[in-house]
Amino acid sequence: MDQTAMIHLQDVHKSFGSNHVLRGFSMAITKGEIVCIIGPSGSGKSTVLRCINGLESYEGGSIHVNGTLVDNKAKSIVAIRQNVSMVFQRFNLFPHRSVLDNVTEGPVFVKGEDAASAQKRGRELLARVGLSDKENAFPRELSGGQQQRVAIARALAMEPQAILFDEPTSALDPELVGEVLSVMRDLAREGMTMIIVTHEIAFAREVADRVIFMDQGVIVEQGPARETLAHPSHPRTQDFLRRVTHPIETD
Amino acid sequence: MQKFLADAAEFIPILFQGVVLTIGLTIGSLVISTLLGLVWALMRVSGVWALSGTAKLFVNFIRGIPIIVQLFYIYFVLPDLGITLTAMQAAIIGLGIAYSAYHSENFRAGIEAIDHGQIEAAQSIGMGWWMVMRRVILPQAIRIVLPPYGNIMIMMLKDSSQASTITVAELAMQGKLIASSTFKNTSVFTLVALMYLCMSLPLMALVTYLEKRFSSGQR
Repeated sequence: MDQTAMIHLQDVHKSFGSNHVLRGFSMAITKGEIVCIIGPSGSGKSTVLRCINGLESYEGGSIHVNGTLVDNKAKSIVAIRQNVSMVFQRFNLFPHRSVLDNVTEGPVFVKGEDAASAQKRGRELLARVGLSDKENAFPRELSGGQQQRVAIARALAMEPQAILFDEPTSALDPELVGEVLSVMRDLAREGMTMIIVTHEIAFAREVADRVIFMDQGVIVEQGPARETLAHPSHPRTQDFLRRVTHPIETD
Repeated sequence: MQKFLADAAEFIPILFQGVVLTIGLTIGSLVISTLLGLVWALMRVSGVWALSGTAKLFVNFIRGIPIIVQLFYIYFVLPDLGITLTAMQAAIIGLGIAYSAYHSENFRAGIEAIDHGQIEAAQSIGMGWWMVMRRVILPQAIRIVLPPYGNIMIMMLKDSSQASTITVAELAMQGKLIASSTFKNTSVFTLVALMYLCMSLPLMALVTYLEKRFSSGQR
């Protein structure tokens, strides 16, 4: 096993019934690295993230975070989840709690931090995602982009070593995508380790250190973001990028 | 009308003893059925096969037997097994168990109505099963569960009259006793009906109030 890797997947297999979603998936993420996973829908991108976070179990291979095996039936999963936060496509904020309470929920109730210091830090995080004026609002009063920024603040509140983004902008109206990407860009600059499943190719080109192109449960091609996206070597990658960047053209 | 008022003045004190028992019966079995119902519901959604299977079996078992037969069983059969209960105890336990099945189905529906994404979000910040329940699911499920809960409560109040079959002298029983000794059926049963109404109407108002309170502000 690669000792320098923070997150390490080795030959991971995962099936949903007869649907073999991950067919021997391996990757290693080092601290501070930003990796974008792209690929057609159904290729297993989200499943990779969900397995790292223990939201899905996997049948074969191994996943390690900081050297600890990810096993969502074991107690160790709690520590892993605190170190590796997740941001979801559909935000998944707690609708019965205010914006600030959404952010402080984890620190106070999971980590046992005292409420006052968690709130202070929560406000700082809300300021960081540009939502200082919304701390008392409820999620349903916010736009999708604002909700996703709260979700990012909630993830940051756990002081994670890495954040997994599962198509963070796919559920947003086009004009709201920018504000979320801009928050993520700031995080990238600050050195956060990030694994991002996305269809925003331009964003991947700009922010990612590495791009992984996935299809049918395996890595088809990977490499430095700019180079790989500009000159993909595999025909399936070429085809996918052409479709994504020029959606209107037909063959 | 004059005659009715005279009868009322005479019978209300006696009927009132029945009302006290009816209320005690309802509150006692409401507490038991709510707690038991919550246990069944949590077992059902636990994701542990043995627990959910047991709860499902038990709930269907209870739902499939008339309340009156359950009461007979607890009051008349358990003594043969060495467990002797007073009529009131047997009635509270019997109604409590019988109604726990209805509560459980209601609670389960409320719990399962919460968007699964929120549960994943809670897990992803490190919450365990019980904390997800307590902090995320139950506070929201209450709002969904409350209106049907109120209706079950009203049904319980009325079904507490079945305890008369195992000699609990609650309101319906008191009415029957007075009616059979005085033959003033009209006055007595009108009074009994009015007294049940007097108890259930405030409950209905309470349900409406709670529905309003929980629906304002947050979603």
